[in-house]
Amino acid sequence: MDFREQIKSLLKEAELYQQQGLLNEAKERYRKATDLIKQNAHIPNSQQLIAKIVQKVVGLNQAMERINTATSKPQVSDRKQDLIKKLFSSGRETSSDDADLEGAIALAKFGQFERALQEFERLLDREPLRVAAAKNILRCQLELDALDAAVDGYGAWTQDPRFSAAQLQKVKFFLESRLKKSGRTLDALALEEPRKPAGTAPGGGVSADRPAQGIPPASSPEPPRAVAENRPSGSAHGGEEEYLDINSVGILFDRGPQKGRMVEFDVSFQTGNAINLIIPGKDRNVIDHLEAGSRLDDIQFFSPIAILNGSGVVTAKTRIKSGPKEGDFSLDIAIIRS
Amino acid sequence: MATFNFKNREIECKIVYYGPGRCGKTTNLEYIFHTYKKQVTGEMVSIDTEGDRTLFFDFLPMGLGKIRGCDVKVQLYTVPGQVQYSSTRKLVLKEVDGIVFVADSLEVRRDKNMQSLKDLHENLKSYGLSVLNIPLVLQYNKRDLDAEGIPLMPIAQMDKDLNRQLKAPAFPASALKGDGVGATVTEILKRTLLSLQKQLKWAT
Ligand SMILES: Nc1nc2c(ncn2[C@@H]2O[C@H](COP(=O)(O)OP(=O)(O)O)[C@@H](O)[C@H]2O)c(=O)[nH]1
Ligand SMILES: [Mg+2]
Repeated sequence: MDFREQIKSLLKEAELYQQQGLLNEAKERYRKATDLIKQNAHIPNSQQLIAKIVQKVVGLNQAMERINTATSKPQVSDRKQDLIKKLFSSGRETSSDDADLEGAIALAKFGQFERALQEFERLLDREPLRVAAAKNILRCQLELDALDAAVDGYGAWTQDPRFSAAQLQKVKFFLESRLKKSGRTLDALALEEPRKPAGTAPGGGVSADRPAQGIPPASSPEPPRAVAENRPSGSAHGGEEEYLDINSVGILFDRGPQKGRMVEFDVSFQTGNAINLIIPGKDRNVIDHLEAGSRLDDIQFFSPIAILNGSGVVTAKTRIKSGPKEGDFSLDIAIIRS
Repeated sequence: MATFNFKNREIECKIVYYGPGRCGKTTNLEYIFHTYKKQVTGEMVSIDTEGDRTLFFDFLPMGLGKIRGCDVKVQLYTVPGQVQYSSTRKLVLKEVDGIVFVADSLEVRRDKNMQSLKDLHENLKSYGLSVLNIPLVLQYNKRDLDAEGIPLMPIAQMDKDLNRQLKAPAFPASALKGDGVGATVTEILKRTLLSLQKQLKWAT
């Protein structure tokens, strides 16, 4: 091809790629065209041509810059937020506690923090969801770098009659661990102890509707028994706060056809230190080697913020008897801190 | 996995359009939206920002009517192609029933096609699924650009790059003009419904 033709077709390509949003490819073509023109500097309008290309490339660079600096978690309209919530909560029809929580978490994962916060605030009214909702509120605020709001929010909950002492304790541990992760210390933020007495402290304002003996000791976040037994002493609060929102786990198999391999599973449900995996019944080479009581010495926990290493015990393995997941296995794993 | 509502005899399944950024996934859905009015049951929603780049996903609900006594609903999704949105990609793939892999025929996008297929493979694996046995259809898009003198990969090469192991049905297409879009979606629906019939022992 004559170099004039070559330059022409390079410019045409560049134009199209730019139009299609393939900016790197466009730039590359402009670069090639420029080289070619420079090698053939005798063509009459070479300077003008190069000047034109430079202009194009400046435009390209600006477009790239705009994309790079665009917020990666844009806020979207209410209607779209509803859709995100609906599409990504598993209870596509029911409005069970779990589905609502999951829907709200989906919003947060999509960076729709404001809306997610509203949802979590509403969920605080529901006893079984309170701790999870509170933790997720803090998570949102930390995402928003609103550390003060998080600490203030916690402070307000210590005065909030909805929270029991045990619930506050859990939330506090969560917040402490998160503050540590972001390099803050408790002291610097003057995080206060829960003001609510955990039961019968003298002079404590135990609210009348919450009998003292009904409150579990503040230091027992009801871990599965396997965890309690295996937990090294001195870490009574386990890692519940760290295991929050585990999206998936990698399990290293020490037997069976997967021996020596790390197999990744999606976490279906999570309550405190126990995670639940639903594994297709056809995955026999996996399922046959996970029995109730099996110890899993090497597990990686993938959470949005970090990959954690640990171990676990299979506490239950149940074959699903009906419904669309019929024949699949539901596996409960208690997490043991390593 | 599709949800099957025994009470209403309603089945809802999920098809995801996967592929590298700017290969034409959104354009496919737009064409379907405008062309198959009878089957489309709601608005197409695109969650995006910054130009027309898909940051989150596109969503298009369809209804196929009654098939063997079951009301069949289909949700079409696209994933964001850009590398940095891998967590959204994974989330959109959750509970997927069938996949259309849209490959970009532009020569300059050859590596990106292969990377995206590998990414699909890995994301499916993390859900315990496999590209080799999930209902899957390939589409080689932007074939119209051949006539414009833009360098495209020959179909045979794309087959070799992407489909040697998969041996999936592959359709040349121009999502912009609509060529091949219907054939692609028809084929993936056929395959997905067949596979669901087997899995759910529905209509047997
Ligand atoms: N010429 C041509 N352009 C296309 C075709 N399909 C998509 N495009 C263009 O490619 C660009 C990216 O398309 P889009 O659907 O947004 O890609 P996505 O990122 O995969 O969703 C847009 O400029 C489209 O107009 C096609 O078949 N032919
Ligand atoms: Mg798109």
